[in-house]
Parts: sequence; structure tokens; C-alpha cells
Amino acid sequence: MTIHLESTINGRSVGINVDPTLTLLEVLRENLFLIGTKEGCGVGECGTCVVLLDGTPVTSCLVLAGDADGRDVETVEGLAPDGELNEVQQAFVKSGAFQCGFCTPAMVLSATALLRRNSSPNEEEMKQALGGILCRCGAYPKILEAIIAATGEGA
Amino acid sequence: MTTYVGSRVPRVDSVDKVTGHAIYGVDVALPGMLHGAVVRSPYPHARIVAIDTSAAEKAPGVKAVVTGKDFPHLFGAAIKDQPFLAIDRVRYVGDPVVAVAATSEREAQYARDLVRVEYEQLPAITDMRLALADDAPLVHPDMHTYERGGHEIIPHTNCNTLYRYQRGDVEAAFAEADLVVEGEYSAHAVSHVALEVHVAVAQYDQFSGDYTLWVTTDRPFFLRDDLAGGLGVDGSKVRLKVAQVGGSFGAKGVPIAEAIAAVLARNTDGRPVKVELTREECLIASQLRVPAIMKLKTGVNKDGFMIARSADVLWDSGAYTAYTVGVAIRGSQTIVGPYRIPNLRILSRQVYTNKAITGSYRGYGTTQVTWACESQMDEIARELGIDPVEFRLQNGYEEGDSYLNGQIMHGVGLRETIETARDEIGWGSVDRAPAPHLRRGKGIATMIKPTMTPSSSNVVINLGEDARVQVVCAAPEIGSGQDTVLAQMAADAVGVPLDDVSVPATDTALTPYNGPVASSRTTYHMGNAIVSAGNEIKGKILELAGKTFGVDPDYLEMRDGEIFDGEGELLVTLKNLLARYHGEGLSLTAGGRYTSAQSQLLKANPGEEWISSIFWMLCTQAAEIEVDTETGVIRVIKVAASADVGKAINPLTCEQQIEGGVVMGLSNGILEDFKISNGRIENGTLADYKVATIQDMPEIVPILVESVHNEAPFGAKGIGEPAAAATPPAIANALFDAVGIRITDLPITPEKVLAALSEKKEAEPGD
Amino acid sequence: MKRLKQFAYHEPTTLADAIGALAAGGPTARVLAGGTDLIVDMKIDRLPTTAVVNIKRIPGLVGIEDLGDATRIGALTKVTDVEESTLVKERHPALAAAASILASPPVRALATIGGNVGRASPASDLGPALIVSDARARIRGVEGQRDILVEDLYIGPGQTSLACSDIITDLVVPNPSPGFGSAHVKLGKRGSGTDIAMAGASASIIIRNGVIEDCKVALASLGPTPLRATIAEESLRGREAAEEALAEAAVAAAEQATPIGDIRASASYRMTLARVLTLRALRAAVESAEERGAS
Repeated sequence: MTIHLESTINGRSVGINVDPTLTLLEVLRENLFLIGTKEGCGVGECGTCVVLLDGTPVTSCLVLAGDADGRDVETVEGLAPDGELNEVQQAFVKSGAFQCGFCTPAMVLSATALLRRNSSPNEEEMKQALGGILCRCGAYPKILEAIIAATGEGA
Repeated sequence: MTTYVGSRVPRVDSVDKVTGHAIYGVDVALPGMLHGAVVRSPYPHARIVAIDTSAAEKAPGVKAVVTGKDFPHLFGAAIKDQPFLAIDRVRYVGDPVVAVAATSEREAQYARDLVRVEYEQLPAITDMRLALADDAPLVHPDMHTYERGGHEIIPHTNCNTLYRYQRGDVEAAFAEADLVVEGEYSAHAVSHVALEVHVAVAQYDQFSGDYTLWVTTDRPFFLRDDLAGGLGVDGSKVRLKVAQVGGSFGAKGVPIAEAIAAVLARNTDGRPVKVELTREECLIASQLRVPAIMKLKTGVNKDGFMIARSADVLWDSGAYTAYTVGVAIRGSQTIVGPYRIPNLRILSRQVYTNKAITGSYRGYGTTQVTWACESQMDEIARELGIDPVEFRLQNGYEEGDSYLNGQIMHGVGLRETIETARDEIGWGSVDRAPAPHLRRGKGIATMIKPTMTPSSSNVVINLGEDARVQVVCAAPEIGSGQDTVLAQMAADAVGVPLDDVSVPATDTALTPYNGPVASSRTTYHMGNAIVSAGNEIKGKILELAGKTFGVDPDYLEMRDGEIFDGEGELLVTLKNLLARYHGEGLSLTAGGRYTSAQSQLLKANPGEEWISSIFWMLCTQAAEIEVDTETGVIRVIKVAASADVGKAINPLTCEQQIEGGVVMGLSNGILEDFKISNGRIENGTLADYKVATIQDMPEIVPILVESVHNEAPFGAKGIGEPAAAATPPAIANALFDAVGIRITDLPITPEKVLAALSEKKEAEPGD
Repeated sequence: MKRLKQFAYHEPTTLADAIGALAAGGPTARVLAGGTDLIVDMKIDRLPTTAVVNIKRIPGLVGIEDLGDATRIGALTKVTDVEESTLVKERHPALAAAASILASPPVRALATIGGNVGRASPASDLGPALIVSDARARIRGVEGQRDILVEDLYIGPGQTSLACSDIITDLVVPNPSPGFGSAHVKLGKRGSGTDIAMAGASASIIIRNGVIEDCKVALASLGPTPLRATIAEESLRGREAAEEALAEAAVAAAEQATPIGDIRASASYRMTLARVLTLRALRAAVESAEERGAS
């Protein structure tokens, strides 16, 4: 059995037939080859699979494919469409806000979503927003520094 | 003069990582690739009576079902004690028993659940304290028959490692001491939780007998040899291609997914097989930090000088030894700490238990013994009435001191790390907490660690006709920034722009031998190899320039891709020079090699040279915490983390290692807590095994101390491991400072804090 | 990667169809709301599932509506939207607080209030907050529609009094009386939040003329279900909202708690937390009432 999805993925309309028992994470990685989104635990505890669903960060490992129908999905691949890094990505580079990089797509997406909603969040709000994504390398101090820089406050 | 070394350049892997373009092991996909799944033991110890794979074999998509009987080989780095799949018995909950390959992962997982295994449960040993009892069930009754290296075991027991060290007369010194402090400390098993799970793709060529594996590892050649040893083939028959590594911390060095993938690949007619563990499998059935119980006794005189220490350390390797033997030996030496103590006695024993495998973990034993050493240092200082900082300064190693084996230590910045951490935390004063049920305190801890010695690194540097430089070496980027620091050193050694330097991915068929990216050894060892090869290339270029322009090459210099004459005037750019030889397709290659084996720095007492380390890592952390006396919850407010890095090749990556180490140390020390019952991990999910988030992060102030090391590339030592070790004892010592209680068994959980507080209240009702 | 086992998938567009699919699917057919519990349970094989009935195509189940004398929260309203709702914050601080500390932001953005109630976790954050807010759940089933006090919904760990084919459609929370204040506190293994509760407590209070007229206390992870601490409530009625009274009530709440020891905390530690967290919740509820103008 398949269902048909009509979604906007990274700004482009995509129509595909998929097995409805797949998760959005599986569809993104295996049907659409958007492999920047990672699985770290599969049960919503590590946050590495975060994508933006209608602009809001969600753990894509817990979303069934059908729930992406008619929605706007944004993955890390959509953040620099013309090869130009967005402000958050640039700040991550400058601050060195990653080590192994496995959580970085989720971190960058979540920080981007936060700044779109609130251009000058305080540190507590930043930590809140990223509190669901684990970074075992412990890049947290530099991630925070990068987000502050991306708000223009750190400049 | 350096252009890049010492400078805070952005990491060379930045764009790949912030755009999600980096390809990790989990991203590898090959044409015709099958997927594996593993049947695991539900029991800590059982005999396999029968295995029925018939239903699984008939399940949709299934291409291979393999049992241990089909593949009766053993692997292991120090002791060959581990089967690829359990052969006749299972030894821990999670031990792989049957592997299945199918056209999709879902089919493989479905078929896996159709395998029926009949077990006969055996008595299990799940408490390391009981493992050496006379009547303890043996995890490996045949241990004495296994192939192993030269270390000592106690045959026909569960003791797989025995190590003793003695110097001076400990008992006489204890008798003379003004104060003797004794205690027992324990460090628990923790998981690496590298966010990328264990994964491998393997392909077997039945005509050549060659295995090719796409892996995510920190030690390609060690892993290759471990696998080849188990498969019974020469190392050259196993080729590892290393993808980006989504975190290792010591986890990704032994065959885990690799072993299963290799076994399956033997049975799929040449089709590649991918084996990707789930997070739950990683938590219970990859490897954990080696738990340790450490009895430590220290004698001091009234002036605060340490005169004797004895240590009795028991380590728990779990069901198989993996890399634990070195932990048990090297780790137990390190329990002496960075202190001059003339009389020493160490007994270290490691036992098998029917529990999850343990192994190397950021610090290789150091995090465990530092916990004991630094907790006791605090106890002694307080009993003597000496300031804990002064006590450490008074006994701590200085440049030129001899290590316990007599090695003259070089590059010892311990004092400066203690002093800078002390100053940054504001030692001696404590801020008032904002509410009466909250109490604040400060604590300090130091650490010392050797690096793997001797070891060697090799590199080939290619300078192409396009003036671009390739640094070909087997030092995978595990997240700690080695690609960046190696490229920085290569750029300066050759004299080219950093942008023109690349560090290709490791492929054991193409990249020359290197030791592991472990033991914080890469910057130093590979750096030395790179400097040597880079300088050779630079020499050849200057010779060519000299010949081309009719000048003496000795007067020429190349920096950042430009060649200058004796007056410092630009003579020619490297690109233009090479363009003149375009027709000849000129490209230059140089090999570089460094081994610490022959270094004069390793000289020590005869027979004890092997204890020497080519460099010593030293670090001090001071922590300020706040305790909620009603719930026992600890909030770490600030950590000042000072590390002697020799020379910071890149201050940014050094800070990353220190900050990351503190976060990991904090997480290990106060959050991570496996609940193990009869050998079974009951909380093997990230929902219940808690790792620090950004919300748990304290203010971290990384401090770089640079006590230049003369044999090091640009003076640089290692930094990857030290920071994680000092954090838990610094927190524990701050806890004592805040509320007068001491937790000696990790982790420092709210429950333990609260229990200790109420015990203290009962003991001192007037308080 | 952890794969889901095969299951039948339904996306009904009416409640009647959904109820029909659930009834046809039997006890292993599950309602899919946010999925943050169901998908996890399916992945780790905690809940045998042969059919999933995704109710998100059914109109009218999302949104927070002011009914004048009550607030209606559609069952599929995201926890994030509960957390951020001005209406909820103004009327029911405990509920807003509970929503703001449930799991983590990317999970809260998927999780729904109806799903959280229906899951009936003893550790639920929303359950105690809804209980002290007198919330009722509106249910549609084979027999039609009915309302049940949220408190009466819970019968055991993971168990509700609902039939397999029942669907929670709304939560209806009556407007509080004057002098009302409420709060929710919890403690997870990570003191920082983003965690399952080792223990939690919600409290609501009505203060008139300095006297506690009414009070409700409900506990999380301190019994098989979200649990009312009725003795504590009784002890406070008619007393001044002073520290001593609150402290005594906290002790009474702990005595009513029936925690188990498990991988997250021992029973005795939970007992201590029952007292400490109840006291903190009560203090915060009094503060909330005062902020809202109680005198």
C-alpha cells in the first residue's frame, strides 16, 4: 500500500508515493536522498533528526509519512540553496560550533527557526530551543556563542 | 615564523558539516546493498542448546542467516576471546547470536524476530567484587588457551589482567607518616553515546578473498588488524575505507558492527551488507567505560608532603576484554596522580563478568583513577588543614621531576594549570546562594595522563602540479579537529596557503600506517611526521626555485605559496614556479615518519622504560556548584578548565576539546547512571540514560597553558582526553565545600546527595 | 535504523469513520495523535500495534477556544500551542507550566494534549495540571458523546477507562473562580528539564480574604496514575495560606503518595520529592493567586 504525498520540501513542490508505515525521517533519507538529516536514537530523545515542519522544529523520527502531506518541510539541505550559508551557518563556522558534526544539521535548523520567530532571544530562550538536541562532543558553549553572534549581539 | 600554526582559523570541515553534506558511516549506500540485523542473548550467561533459523530463512527478502557455528573465529586486541557470533554460549545480555541479511533493513529485522534460540541458563557472575571468589562461575573457562599478548593473567579464574608495581617501602613509609588516609572509590560504567551509532558496510570478494569495509572508526589500522586476526587472514586482505565519524570518544575502535557485517558479507555472494546498530543496541551491546573499584591509601607527613601510596584497583571488563587490558595497566599507574610520591605499591586486577563489554573511553582509565586520586587529595588536604590548592602545588610535578619509573619529565605545566584555574574560579570566596535551601561551594581537581608510547605515524604529502597539497594519512576526523590542525601544520611546513591543503579520507589500502586517533596522540605524532615530510617538499621546491632563478636555495624561503629571496623580496609564487614545469607535469611527493620509540626522552629505570610517555598531559579544573539541599540536585555554575597543551596549533579546536571534555565529564559524573540488575541494563534507552543537554551546561572557561615540548611539532602536545577526567572530582570536592558531604561512588546523583545530607544531619543533630 | 513493523494505516476524515476503524481493528488498533508516545512504543515493541488510525484529517480537533465560562482545547492541539496560549496562561497557569516542561521543544511541537491524556502515563505532566484545573475530557465513541473528569479517566499505568474505539475530542477546562492560582513543578533526572518526571506536583488554590477556600493537589510519578492528594487539600481548606499550613499539607501529600522504585528513582527518594515538590507547587500556586489579585 502506498499513499500520495504532496509536500513542499526545501521550497520545492514534491509529489511522491510512499509506504505510509515509513517515518518522515525514512522518507527524507531514503526516498528523497536528503541524508543531512540523521537518526541518533529513533525515539525522539536525541534530536538529531530535527527538521522544520511548517517552520517548527520536530523530531522527524516520530512523524509518520502521511503527516507530511500538504506540509512545508525544511531540512538542512534547504538552508543554503544557492551555495550561500545562512547567517546561523556562517556563525557556526566562525565560532566553531560543532565537532563531529552529526548533530549540527539539527542544531542549525533549530537555531534558524528560533531566530526567524524571535530575532533577539535571550540566552535562556536559546538554551530552551536547543534543549532537545544532544551534542555528545559538547560543542554547547560554542553553539550558544554562534547563535548570539547570529543575532548580531555578539558582533 | 608560522602563518597558520597558532592561529584561530575556522575548521576545514566547517562547510561540509553546517550544510549536512558530510558523509558519515550511516550514509554509506552501495548498489545491491543488503541490510543486517542481529539476534542477541536475553541472558547474562547461558549455553546455546539449539538454534532454529528455518522460519527466518524463508522470510521475505532474506539472503543470509549466519550462526556462530558457521563462523567459529575469535578476535580481540589483547586476548582473542571474542567470537563474531556466540559459538556455544552467550556471556552477556546483548551478546550477538545470529545475524540475518535481507534486502531491506525492515525485512532483516522482521526475519531476525523469527529466529528461535533455545538456551540453558548458566550461573552468571554479575558483580566484579565476587568474580575472584573460589566458587565464582567462570566466564571463560578456556581463557588460558586463548591467544594473547605478553600480559599476566590468573589462569582458571576470571582474572584476565594482573599487574603489580612497587617502588620503595610502602609499609615503612605508612608507619612513619603523620597521617594516613584510606578510602574506597568507585567509577561506574558509562556509554560513549557517540551520536552516530555503530555502523559498517562490508563486501567480500570470493575470488580474491578480500574484505572491503566502509567504516566509521578512530583507529583504522588497529581495527583492520583486529578483524583480520579474527578472520584468520593477513591484514592486507582487509581494506577499511573510513567515512566521517559521528563521534567516537574511544567507542569506535573494536569490531562491533564491523564483525557482524564481515560475517554476513562472507555469505551473500559478493553483495555488500550494511549493519547499523540501533541506539539501544549501542547502549547495551557495543562497549562501555570500564567500571573500577579503587582502594587507595596515602601517607603524608605533617608538612603536607606525600610519602607513600598504595592502590588496589579492580576493573570489570565485562564479557570480553576488547581494549580493557591496557586500561587496567596504564590506568592503574595513573592513580598516583601528577604527584611526587617516593613509595608506591599498585595492585591491579581485571575480571571478566557476565555483563556488557567495556573498553577504551576518552582517557583510557584516567577518568576512573582521577576520581579516586583527586577525591582523596581533597580529603587529605582537609584533614591536614592545608588548602587543597596549596597541597596540590606542593606535591605536584614540576619540569624536570622524575616520573615513577625514573623518566625525567619534560613539558610539565601543571603548576600553571592549577594557578590559572584557581584564579579564574575565585578560589577562597564563595558567593551566597539566592535561597536558604541552596548552598554553594568550590572544588578543584587535577589530572595527568600519558599518551600511548611508543607509537608511530606515517604520512605522504603530495604537492600537485596545481600547487595543491594533499596530506595522505590514516588519521580520521573523529570530530576533534585533526583534519584542521594537520592541515595547518602541513600548510606551514610546506609553506602553502591553508586553502590549498586537503586531508583525504582514510583508506587503509592507500594511506600509510598510523597508530590510532586515540590517546590524544595525533597532533604530536602525525604532526611530527607532517613537519618532516612538509619540510622535505619545501626543500625540493626551494631547490627548484634556486635552479630556475640561479640563486642559492639556502637563501630562499617559502611562505603561504610565495617564495622570497634573501632580502625578503617576492621571487616567484609557487603556482608560477610550477607552471614553468607544467609540461613535465611536476608534482612532488615526500614521506614523513615519526616514532617515539627511539626518543631519548623515554629513558628511565632499566626495565621500566615502557612506562615512560613521550609527553604528559596535565590539566586542572576548578568548579563552582550549587546544591539544592531539599532535592539533592547539583547545578554546576562554572568550571574553569586549564590544560597544558604544549602549544595550541589552533586555539579554537583546543577550546572545543576542553569545553567538550567538561560537558562530558559533567554528564558522566552527575547524570549518567546505568541501572543494572543481574547483568541486565534496565535503562538502555536515551529516555532513561541521561546525557547532558545545552541546558545542563555551566559557564565554562577554557584556559590554554603552553609549556612547549621540545620534541613536539611546534611544541604541541595532546588535548583530547584530559578535560573529561577532572570534572567529576572537581564537582565532588565542591560538594564537600558546599555542604560537607563526600560521595565516593560515581555518579553523584541527587538521591545519593540527599541520603548523605540526611546521614550527616543525624550524625550532627546540632548542626 | 530502528524500523517500524508493518501495520495497517488509516486516515479517516470523520470521527465516525475513525471510531469504525478502531472498532474493526480491535485492541491492537491505536489512535495516532502526535505520535510521540505511540511511535516510540511501536519501535521498542512496548505496545503491539496492528493498525494505526491517524485522526489528523478529521476537522475540528485542533485549537483553543474561549467558550465564555470555559476553555475548550481540541484534543489534537499541540503541547507547544497549549504552552504558548495566552488564554491558557491567563486562566490556568499550572497547565501552561506543565506544557512548557513536557519533553523537549521538537517533541512538544508534535505531542498533543489529547494524546498525552489518552496515554495515561503515571509520569504525565499535563494530567496533574488538568486535574487541579477541574478539566473534563470530551469523548466520542460508538455510543455517542460523553464528558468525563480527567481525574476519572485514569485507572492504571497506561490505562484509561476508555473503550478501544473511544476517541478524546476535546479537553474542557472551566474558568477558575476569583482568588484562583495554580502551578506545576517537576523534577527529572536532568535537573535542567527536558525529561520524564521522577516526580511532579500540580496545585491549585482559591484564596479569599486571606483564607484558602479551596485547593487541589495532584501528583505525577508518585502512584500508578496521576494522583489526587485529597488529605493535603482537606488540611488546607479554611486555613491561612501561610508557610506552616503549606508545609503540613506537603507532608500529608507525601503520605498519600504510593510511589514505586524504578530505573528513574527509588520509592523513598520519590517520597521525599512528593513532600518537597508539593510544597513548592503550593507556594507557587499561592504566589500565582496573589499575582492574579487574590487577597
